[in-house]
Amino acid sequence: MLVEVLSSVFNLQIVFFIIVGVFTGICIGALPGLTATMGVALVLPLTFGMDAIPGILLLIGVYVGAIYGGSISAILLRTPGTPAAAATILDGYEFSKRGESGRALGISTVSSFVGGVVSVIALWLISPQLAKLALRFSAPEFFLLAIFGLSIIASISGNSLSKGVLCGALGITLSFIGIDSITGYPRFVFNNINLLSGMSFIPVMIGLFAMSQAFTTIETIFTPDQVTQKISKVWPSKSDWKVIMRQGPISGVIGTIIGIIPGAGAEIGAFVSYGQAKKTSRHPELFGTGIPEGIAAPEAGNNGVTGGALIPMLTMGVPGDAVAAILIGALTVQGLQPGPLLFTEHTTLVYSIFLGMFIANVTMLVLGLSSLKLFVKVLSVPKGILTPMIFILCVVGSYAINTNFFDVGVMLFFGIVGYFMQKADVSVSPAVLGLILGPMAESNFRRALLMSEGSYSIFFSSPIAWIFLLLTIVTLVGPTIGEMARKKRQS
Amino acid sequence: MKKILVTLLLLSLTFGAVFAQGVGEASADTYPSGPVSVIVPYAAGGGTDLIARALVDAAKGNFPKNITVENRTGGGGAVGMSYGANAKPDGSVITMITVELVTLPHTGTGAGLYYDQFEPIMMLNSAYSAITVKADSPYNTLNEFLDAAKTKNMRVGNSGVGAIWHLAAAGLAKTAGVNFNHIPFDGAAPAITSLLGGHIDAITVSYAEVDSQVRAGNLKVLAVLAPERISATPDIPTAKELGYDVAIGTWRGFGVPKNTPKAIVDKIYSFFSVAAQSPGFIQYMANTNNIIDVLDGAEYGKKLAVDNAMFKALIDELGLKQQ
Repeated sequence: MLVEVLSSVFNLQIVFFIIVGVFTGICIGALPGLTATMGVALVLPLTFGMDAIPGILLLIGVYVGAIYGGSISAILLRTPGTPAAAATILDGYEFSKRGESGRALGISTVSSFVGGVVSVIALWLISPQLAKLALRFSAPEFFLLAIFGLSIIASISGNSLSKGVLCGALGITLSFIGIDSITGYPRFVFNNINLLSGMSFIPVMIGLFAMSQAFTTIETIFTPDQVTQKISKVWPSKSDWKVIMRQGPISGVIGTIIGIIPGAGAEIGAFVSYGQAKKTSRHPELFGTGIPEGIAAPEAGNNGVTGGALIPMLTMGVPGDAVAAILIGALTVQGLQPGPLLFTEHTTLVYSIFLGMFIANVTMLVLGLSSLKLFVKVLSVPKGILTPMIFILCVVGSYAINTNFFDVGVMLFFGIVGYFMQKADVSVSPAVLGLILGPMAESNFRRALLMSEGSYSIFFSSPIAWIFLLLTIVTLVGPTIGEMARKKRQS
Repeated sequence: MKKILVTLLLLSLTFGAVFAQGVGEASADTYPSGPVSVIVPYAAGGGTDLIARALVDAAKGNFPKNITVENRTGGGGAVGMSYGANAKPDGSVITMITVELVTLPHTGTGAGLYYDQFEPIMMLNSAYSAITVKADSPYNTLNEFLDAAKTKNMRVGNSGVGAIWHLAAAGLAKTAGVNFNHIPFDGAAPAITSLLGGHIDAITVSYAEVDSQVRAGNLKVLAVLAPERISATPDIPTAKELGYDVAIGTWRGFGVPKNTPKAIVDKIYSFFSVAAQSPGFIQYMANTNNIIDVLDGAEYGKKLAVDNAMFKALIDELGLKQQ
C-alpha cells in the first residue's frame, strides 16, 4: 500500500498540480476580496476532467495556499486577504509600520507551515480511527453533531448574537427549498424545476463570499492599494524561530480542533489561537504592538484548520468548514462518497490525500520563503482590472458546476444579498453554517424518529449522543456562566 | 458606418437561418452530418455520466463531425430528460434516459416528462436490487427474512424517498404481503454505512454497490430482485425462484425525441450497439461492476411501457404522489 501511495503522489503530474494549486492559492489568498472558499469553488470545475487524486490535491493546494496567502495583504496593507487572516493584522501591520515587513512575512510563512504540518499529522493519525468509530454514528448522533455545530453560531456571530442567529436561520430556511428528503414532497419550489433539487450550494457560496466582495470593491475601485514597504530579511532570526517553535504547534493543535468542529472554519481558528496565546502569555499587554507571537499564533491556527476540517469530511462526510463542503462536492463528482467506506474501499486515495497535503505545506513554505516579492506584485494589480476578472470568474464558476444558467442567477442574487449583509455588518458565516448543517440536522432528526418509530428516547440512547448533547450545552451556556463568574469576582 | 453594421447584421441573420435550415434537413443517408450531443441528466463524473462517456468514446469514430457529452442536471434527472425530449427530432441530440423517466412522472416531480416523448434507441445496462443484510444477521435466506418481517417491523434502508431502491423494497413488501419501515438516506453509500453499523436491518440497493463489502465478508446478499440470476454472481438466488415474483431494477439507455425518422434511429442503434461490444467498453464496465444488458429499440420500448405501469401502481399505492 505504501508503495502505491508513494507512486501515486510522487509523480511529476501530481506534484506539478500541487505546486500549481498552492501558487494559485497564495495569489488568491493575497488578493483582498478573494477568499479561500471562493478560490476552491472557482478551481473546482477544472477538476471535473481530471482523475480523483490530482483533482483533489489541486483543490487542497489552493486551500492551503489561500489560507496562508491572506496574511500577506494583512501584514502589508492592513487588509486581510481572507477572513482567516483578520487576526494577523493586529500585530502583523505593526511590523510593517516599523519597516520590518520581511520579518513579519517570514514568521507568518514558517508558522503557517508548522500549523499546517501539525494538522496533517492529526489528520493522518485521527482519521483512520475516527473512520472506524464513524460506523457507530447513526441518525441521532448525526443530528446531535449538527446541532453542536449550529451552536457554534453563538460564538462566531461577532458583535451581535441576534444578527448571527437571524443569519443562521436564513441559511437553514434556504436549505428547506427542494424535494424533502424524507417524504419526497417538493417544498418552496413554486413549480420551478430548477429548485426541485434545492439551492445549489456552490453558487450560493460564490455569491455570498466572492460576488458580494467584488461589489464592495467597486466602491473604492479608484483608490489604489500601494505596497510601499521593501521586503527583505524574510528568513526568521534565531529568537523568532524560538517563538514559532513554541507557539506554532500549540496553535496548530487548537486550529485542528476548531477545524474538526463542523462548520467552524479558519477565521475562528485564527482568533481562538490568538486569544489563547494572549491569555497564556507572560506579557499579554505587548500583543497588538507587533510581537512575533501575535503573528505565529493566528497563522499557525488558521492553517491548522485546513487538516482538521478534512477529518470529519473524509471520515463521516460531514464538512468541517465551507471549503470542506466544496471538497465533498469534488469527491462526489469523481464518484467517491466521503464516509467510512472511503477508508476501506479507496485506501490509496485517502493516504494520497494525506501525503499530498503534506507536500502542499512544504510547497507553501518554499514558495513563501523564496518568491514573496512575486506575490507582493500581485497586490499591485489595479482593482479596475481585477474586479471585472472576479465578476467573470464568479459567473463562469457558478455556471460550470451544473452547466445550468439558473445557477448564475442564484449566484447574482446572493451576491446582492451578501453585499447588503456586509453593509449591515452581518457576518455571512452563520448563513453558510445554517445552509450546510440545517439539512443535516433536519433529515437526521426525522430519520432517527423513523428508525425509532416515533420514540424520542433514541436521542439519548448512545454515549456518543450524550457527548454531543453535553458539548452543545457547554457551548451555549458556557460563555454566559463565565461572564457571570467574572462579574461576581469583580464585585 | 451605421448602414454597414445593419447590413452585416442582416447578412449574418440570413446566413444563420440558412445554416440552421441545413442542419434541420439532415437525412438518414447523410446522418450524422453535424455535431451530435449526448445529454446526460446527471452530474459530470457520476456513474451514469461515466458510462455515457465510455460508450460515446467507443462510438466516436462513427461521428466525423464530433459527438460530445453534455450534462444537464437538476430535478433528479427531470431537467436533462425534458431538455432531450424537446430537442429537434433529427438525431442531433441523443439523451441518456434512466429509470427515473418512468418513476418521476408518477411522483409528480417529472415536470411534464413522460416516457412516450422518447423514441427508445437501445437499453445499455441494468442493475437489479439486492436484498442485503449484515454478515452476522440471523437471517440467511430471503424466506427467513420475510417470515420474520411478519412479526417485526424491519428497518429497510434505501437511497432516497421515491428513488428506485425505495420502490424495490416496497415492491418486495407488497409481493410478500409484509410491511417494511422504509428509511431513506441521501444516496446508497450512507445506507450501506448505516447497515454496516447495525443501525438498520437490510438495504435494497444494487448488487454492484454492495459488492466490495460482500467480498470483504461484512455483508451478505439474500436474493436479487432480477428476472434471472446475475451472471457475475450465479450463487445468489432470485426472489422469483424463491416464490416472490418481483423484479425491480434500474436501467440506462438512449432515446431521441418522438418523430425522429426511423432510419436515423436505426443508424444510431447500429453505431451504439457495436460500441457496446467494443473491448474498451466491456473492460470499463467490468472494472466498474456494471452489467451490460443491451435491448434493441422495440424491446426497450416494451420494457418502458411495462415498467411505467408497474411503477405507477407502486407509487400510487405507497402514497408518494405529490400535489
